[in-house]
Amino acid sequence: MVEQTVHRRNPDVSWRVIEGQAVLVFNIEGEVQVLNEVGTYIWEHLEEEDVDTLAGNIARTFAVSEEEARRDLLAFLQELRKSGALL
Amino acid sequence: MGRRTPLTPYQDLLNRAIEAAHPYSASLELTYTCNLACRYCYNPVQRKNQPRRAPPPPPPGPPLSFEEYVDLLDQMKEMGVLYLTFTGGEALLHPRFWDLAAEARKRAFALRIFTNGVAVTEGTARRLRELAPFCIEMSLHGADARTAEALTQVPGSFDRQMEALRHLRSQGLRVYLKVVVTRLVEDQLQRIRDLGERFGYPVYFDPVLTVSDDGDPYPLELMASDEAIASLYREEGLQIGNSPFEREGGEYNCTVGTGTFHVTPYGDVQPCTQWKQAVGNVRKARLKEIWETSPLLQEVRKVNRAVPVEIQRTVEDHAYCFSCPGLSRLTTGDPLRVDDQYLRVARIRRRVAEEENGRGPVNRVAIRRETVTRP
Repeated sequence: MVEQTVHRRNPDVSWRVIEGQAVLVFNIEGEVQVLNEVGTYIWEHLEEEDVDTLAGNIARTFAVSEEEARRDLLAFLQELRKSGALL
Repeated sequence: MGRRTPLTPYQDLLNRAIEAAHPYSASLELTYTCNLACRYCYNPVQRKNQPRRAPPPPPPGPPLSFEEYVDLLDQMKEMGVLYLTFTGGEALLHPRFWDLAAEARKRAFALRIFTNGVAVTEGTARRLRELAPFCIEMSLHGADARTAEALTQVPGSFDRQMEALRHLRSQGLRVYLKVVVTRLVEDQLQRIRDLGERFGYPVYFDPVLTVSDDGDPYPLELMASDEAIASLYREEGLQIGNSPFEREGGEYNCTVGTGTFHVTPYGDVQPCTQWKQAVGNVRKARLKEIWETSPLLQEVRKVNRAVPVEIQRTVEDHAYCFSCPGLSRLTTGDPLRVDDQYLRVARIRRRVAEEENGRGPVNRVAIRRETVTRP
């Protein structure tokens, strides 16, 4: 259900933004994931902004259409949930 | 040593962090207290059952309080520290260990816990599992009680370590075992690796001993033979190094003072665990201020960048040589001069490589798995 208002990061995933890129450490699995600039923006804001706000901000910040931003955002959230990064 | 494989995006990012002096890792030495009395212990405060040339240094003041640690955790999070190591002494013996660990996890640090395992009971292992640390790194001292306890000088410590491994395994925790290769264990390397395998844990063998923090070289009396060091590089399946998290590539020698720092139980900030020089104290300045303005740290960063060039320039077996500037500083007074132990290891590695017809420098085993997600 990625359309829910806001999302929650999994507390078992440690993370920091390093040199502009979010590094996610999956403590249980022992894996590391590096997000690109857009992914980092989403990761940093997904607990405070709902999907509509996030999509609008991505469209403005990264100069893409809102439709494209929303489509990619939903796919990315789905991917994060599947990987266990989100509750 | 040339780059052997292309860097992954993660490795590349860490190297960029080092270039930018972003401290992505840090270690907190929570206590000097330890429940073992290892004959090679480098801590002059906790050295037990061994002759002393000087009395232990008095504590510089009270150790950091719980509240001071919590403030430090906030500061480190703000500075972008991701990997946080709790070490000691024996970290688990800190009276507020569990509270501190919980506070660290609340702040989304990836927690590494260094322990000798002796205090790990079934209940401890269960609490560790609930904590969800990134990993536990546990020292081993031999493949059997007789050998291990000749080093730890605590009867029963080996059996307690084996119990600890069973408990950690049953909780599904990720554990890396670490062995300093001394003459006491040099004929047991395969047995120790097999012991790790029985629990499903990798073993890392470190061929370099650390002198005491006060410069006393007594741990070197336990140095392993050339042949034992050679066997590390000759035999298949032995993983070498003092950490499972070796950095790859980049212009800097290591992370000292550029990607990492270390805080003693009394708040002194050091460039790393091994570089025993305070560049500031967290009771006198904020960590960020120390990190950004300490003239000593600026010097350390210059040294860190100069070390690979210096190795290339001065060491005949430079293709096989690493250097720890912190150790060099302790043993030679000059962090740029390669310590004799590393020169010895380089010489042995070269000999082994030549014997094996150009097998070349032995690759360290990378344990990281990583994926890159693009939305």
